[in-house]
Amino acid sequence: MVSFDVIAEAGEARRGQLQINDRALETPHLFPVVNFYGGGNEPALFGGGIHRTVKEFMVNHPPTTGGTDYSDLFGGVMTSISSLTDYGIREKKLEEYLDNEIREWGKFSDYDGMIFADSGGYKILKQGGELEGEDFTKDISQDKALDMQLDLGPDIVVNLDHPIHPDDEFEERIEKMEKTAVNARQLAERRDEVDGACYLTVHGYYEAMLERSFDAIEDELDRPIPEVFDGIALGSLVPRKDNVEVLIEAVSDCRLEMQQRGYNDLPLHVFGISGNAMPLLVAVGADTFDSASYLHQAINGKYCVNLFETVPVEEADFHACDCRICNDGLHRDRMRNRLDDLYQKDILGSVAAHNLAIQQRELRRFRQLIAEADEDQIAAYLEEAVKDQKGFRKFAYKLINERIKPYFDDDGETSYA
Amino acid sequence: MHKTPKVNEVNEFIEIASDFEDPLEVIREALSNSYDAEATWVEIEIKQDDEGRNTLIIKDDGHGMDEQDLESFFDLGNSNKHDAIGYKGHGTKIYYKSDEIRVESVKDGNHIESVMEQPWETLNNHELPTYSIDTEETDETTGTRIEVHGFRAGQGFDPEQLTYNKIEHYIKWKTIGGSTAWHFDDDFHEFDIKVTLSPQIDDTRKPIETTNKLEFPDENLYPDGEFVAERMCKHFPPRELTVTLDDGRELTIEVVGMVGGKEARNELPTYGKHSAQFGIWLAKDHIKVERYNDAIGADNEFFHFFFVANCQSLELSANREKIRNKSGDVYQAITNELERFMTKVCQEEWYRDYIARRKLEDKKRSVQSQESSLQDRLVKTKEQGGLSPSNPAEVIAALERYSANGSPETVEIADFRMDEEVNAIVNTDDGYKNAALQAKLSDFFEDETPLTHIDRFICWKLGDLDALTKIERASYLGEPIRFDFSNNEVMYGDGDAKTIPILELADKV
Repeated sequence: MVSFDVIAEAGEARRGQLQINDRALETPHLFPVVNFYGGGNEPALFGGGIHRTVKEFMVNHPPTTGGTDYSDLFGGVMTSISSLTDYGIREKKLEEYLDNEIREWGKFSDYDGMIFADSGGYKILKQGGELEGEDFTKDISQDKALDMQLDLGPDIVVNLDHPIHPDDEFEERIEKMEKTAVNARQLAERRDEVDGACYLTVHGYYEAMLERSFDAIEDELDRPIPEVFDGIALGSLVPRKDNVEVLIEAVSDCRLEMQQRGYNDLPLHVFGISGNAMPLLVAVGADTFDSASYLHQAINGKYCVNLFETVPVEEADFHACDCRICNDGLHRDRMRNRLDDLYQKDILGSVAAHNLAIQQRELRRFRQLIAEADEDQIAAYLEEAVKDQKGFRKFAYKLINERIKPYFDDDGETSYA
Repeated sequence: MHKTPKVNEVNEFIEIASDFEDPLEVIREALSNSYDAEATWVEIEIKQDDEGRNTLIIKDDGHGMDEQDLESFFDLGNSNKHDAIGYKGHGTKIYYKSDEIRVESVKDGNHIESVMEQPWETLNNHELPTYSIDTEETDETTGTRIEVHGFRAGQGFDPEQLTYNKIEHYIKWKTIGGSTAWHFDDDFHEFDIKVTLSPQIDDTRKPIETTNKLEFPDENLYPDGEFVAERMCKHFPPRELTVTLDDGRELTIEVVGMVGGKEARNELPTYGKHSAQFGIWLAKDHIKVERYNDAIGADNEFFHFFFVANCQSLELSANREKIRNKSGDVYQAITNELERFMTKVCQEEWYRDYIARRKLEDKKRSVQSQESSLQDRLVKTKEQGGLSPSNPAEVIAALERYSANGSPETVEIADFRMDEEVNAIVNTDDGYKNAALQAKLSDFFEDETPLTHIDRFICWKLGDLDALTKIERASYLGEPIRFDFSNNEVMYGDGDAKTIPILELADKV
């Protein structure tokens, strides 16, 4: 059973509840990217390094967490079939991993968050449609991708897509959209095999492009999209992730396209984007996100002060942070490298958890604001969030001015603070 | 032992008086003093005699001066004004640059008259000038009259320099006469200003009569017509921005402004370039001091904007021409907040429409000029009887025409790159050849391009044959060269010379 209920709206931002069988998720939500199988065996949570530490936070492993349960940071996670070979595993290992669904492994059996199994289209496309291990390559078709996704025991699957690139020639883009549409149809044909939600990928940076993407899929399917799919996932934005204006336009136009086609009740997921753009994208109608930025920032020794700023972890002022990680002496000591026998994974694992906590905290605040349906508060929140971000704030101000409340009314009255 | 530092009073007077570089600053000081004296009107008269000596007469109906006020008037740094523009006690010292200062004032039923003779000469003789005071009872209404003879205005008051327009601009841009306080203060103290110049200085118009309010041109949000952007104008209503500093202090910035096209802006008494006058002005006492155009950001052109941001926490230099506390947190906080505010203005819908409209009209103008240019070109083309290539692209067109009209050989462009020295690859009966394609052959040699990889020359005309002959008589890049125009060939190099055929199209098309 899959449902998505919009509980509250403020402007175009919405707070919803995504229910998939017996698991529920409050939206807007960020799915942190987790690599479940990183080359190792079960006792080591299938892989070492910071990825292991992150999973230890996820499954509430007390020696790592210090006894506090942080698993709520991982209420829904994203994993990708393409990440299965991130560590160049052998084919036998891959088969071993896929023999059990994620929750069938003892170490993950208590994890009760949602698992969003991505098809990893971007990486697979880059590898010429193959998945490469140490001693094997596998052609990945839509069917094969779905088989592997289902082997993970997911709550959400998505069709194998062919992401577009801003530099694509028009013909190239059309070809990719058509291939994605064919994959969507093939997923639709096996809809009954999925005991969870099926998401549909669309691609485009503005309305005309998105219109074409939706049209290609509708032409391929023999049923209306909402009869088969439970959510829309907007892809191909990662190459434009630093251009927030493009991101806003893409998400906003995707939402518009969904409205016009009668899919507005479906949740909208935005692939690969998180961080500073997230609040603005929520404001124009995005429901969920996924990103590994919390982890990559930590790997690079970066500690998030807020959604916009990072500082080297050595310079971080933990006492200025209200997150649970920074309020825990154990993690402060780890992040400061003040304990004996600490590995980098211990130090940076806590930083990754903190970085994720910051992003989830902002979405939690946003959920509260939407629940109060107070657009003024949302505008004030966005203003405060971007007030020191010189290059960024004009986009936020434009969004507020155009979509939430004008700064200068024609009658001379002001809505400016 | 303790010693008290000394002040060289004479030098200080000279310094402060000399700090006022622009003689028009005398007008600013006069208006500020009258404003502080709560006058309802002030009249300024500037005269020049035949020998070029200037006389200034300033009259107002303010609350007048008594003996103590007069001391403040003549003393340095001894202002008895608090919360007033002239709280520093510097401004009136500009009058010291003169031959005589005569002050008459009525306050509390007393008429006071004071004269200071030769203040500037006395100071320059390293002495402090003195002033007389005569007081008598009177039933006259309050007010002050200041007469300054022989005011040293440099060339600033010369008829060639001084005009009513210049003064009016100065009043609105640099004095309390251009105040924006009325947008914020219900009890705004309004007063009338009249400035008269003697006919020797400017007799082109009537005296200036204005008030101390800076009023923007009328709003004109969406005028009708084809080219209207220059007339478009929008007011941005007054806002009080509050900023809290780290130490808890609160600053208030009062901002008001307009955005408009050049015609709209010209409804203000502009003088000189708009780029020097418009933008974001920081002000104190609602008198504009310096611009902070960085608040607008690089995406926008500042001269469309006329905003005044007043903050009483700004500190000014003695002559009020500069902001002094720029390195402090107050200035930083003010400019940061202004940047945020102006970012909002720039995201405002009308502003974006205005910019889009300007762009559209520029395009339309460009289309109009394109039309006229195309007509000129057509006339020229008809005169010369068709294609006359002046660039490689036109040579390609000529070459295509040559091929289409039954040329004896095949020469087709297979690849062309405008910026390459060997700019073309041509498909010929003998296969692909590297070609240098130019409107004139002589242009190619002017650029001293090596001939190593060139198999053919294709040109519209040979060009300057004398220039080519000159090259032939010297050498080309250290090697002998010969132009055989009868056989359309270039022979290049010593001994085993390379022969490069020339295809000249002008006589073939």
